[in-house]
Amino acid sequence: MSTDSMNSDPMSSDPHERARMLIASAGLERPGPEDPSKAEPSPVEQSWLAVHLESCTTCREFAENSCVTIRLLRGIQITAGERLVSATQMRVRQRAEELQRQQERLWVVCACCAAVTLSTVVSTALLWRGFAWIGQQARLSTPVWEGGFLVFYLMPAVFTGIFLLARGAFLADHNGSYQVDPRV
Amino acid sequence: MNATACYFVSAMADENTEIARGLQRRDPDLLDHLIEKYQHRLLRYLVYLTGCGELAEDLFQETWVRVLERGRQYDGRHDFSTWLFAIARNLVIDHLRRKRPETPDSLGDGDDSALLDITATGQPSAFDATVQREQNEQISAGMQHIPAEYREALVLRFQEGMSLGEIANVTGAPLGTVKSRIYRGLSALEAWLRGAQL
Repeated sequence: MSTDSMNSDPMSSDPHERARMLIASAGLERPGPEDPSKAEPSPVEQSWLAVHLESCTTCREFAENSCVTIRLLRGIQITAGERLVSATQMRVRQRAEELQRQQERLWVVCACCAAVTLSTVVSTALLWRGFAWIGQQARLSTPVWEGGFLVFYLMPAVFTGIFLLARGAFLADHNGSYQVDPRV
Repeated sequence: MNATACYFVSAMADENTEIARGLQRRDPDLLDHLIEKYQHRLLRYLVYLTGCGELAEDLFQETWVRVLERGRQYDGRHDFSTWLFAIARNLVIDHLRRKRPETPDSLGDGDDSALLDITATGQPSAFDATVQREQNEQISAGMQHIPAEYREALVLRFQEGMSLGEIANVTGAPLGTVKSRIYRGLSALEAWLRGAQL
């Protein structure tokens, strides 16, 4: 848990605590927003703070010290070098090109998937009708030509699977790649 | 709200919408422009958050790559800088989580041995430069001795000039906690500076 989460109430009952929190929140010479209702602190809090500071030396001292600290904070300049900026721009451009290529590949894959799905739907319907016609001509019972259709339909996938498994086993036996004869 | 304020609010909203559209397209020219525009602010924030110049530079690049990748999540309703700093902050937390898995949800205190690598620029004379450098060193050392959450709140408030609400958006902390962090951070820094001057 955060160290300050237990005590984060800005409206402390202690007027000094409240005043210091308002001083810290207000900062220094910070132009307020044009809309007074959005000012930080609000005009009511600012007038309360002004009255409090008139009568409280320790809070006034805190305000003065805060001014010095904030001025010091604002005086620090950290600048990014040109090399860092150009390296970042180059890296971002390279990544943008990578993402562009990925997206283009994704489009190609999506288009292929759509084409395959469409051709599958069309060819399945045609094949089904073809097998039904053959079954009718050959006077085969319905389960027989349906079984034939199923075997014919699944055969390419089964052969492809067997081929890929065989190829995988071959590559595994040959250390993941084809060996090149050094004498060649 | 008066007419000038309306004009600026409207112009900022337009700019944020334009940035959101550009990020949707992953427009590299827009990103080049944004990198140049926010280079110093982002690096300063990261340097203070991490306490290490080299790490800050690495995270600076990572932040912009993340902006490119997640740019479609930016809707333009909030100020771009708030979204940018929130991304940078998450990257710092991710880095700390990898480094120290026992503190996954907070910034922690960074590397105590690392000193802020700060370059002071724009001094008019050698004497002023020396004074400025000494002050910078003092305040940098002081910043390293206060908790990272306080340091972050001070940087966002007094260096980046963010409103309390914007800081709450970046850090994901309630407004009261933000005020408390600024107050405690400022008090701790003042105490440290007084100690250093004695």
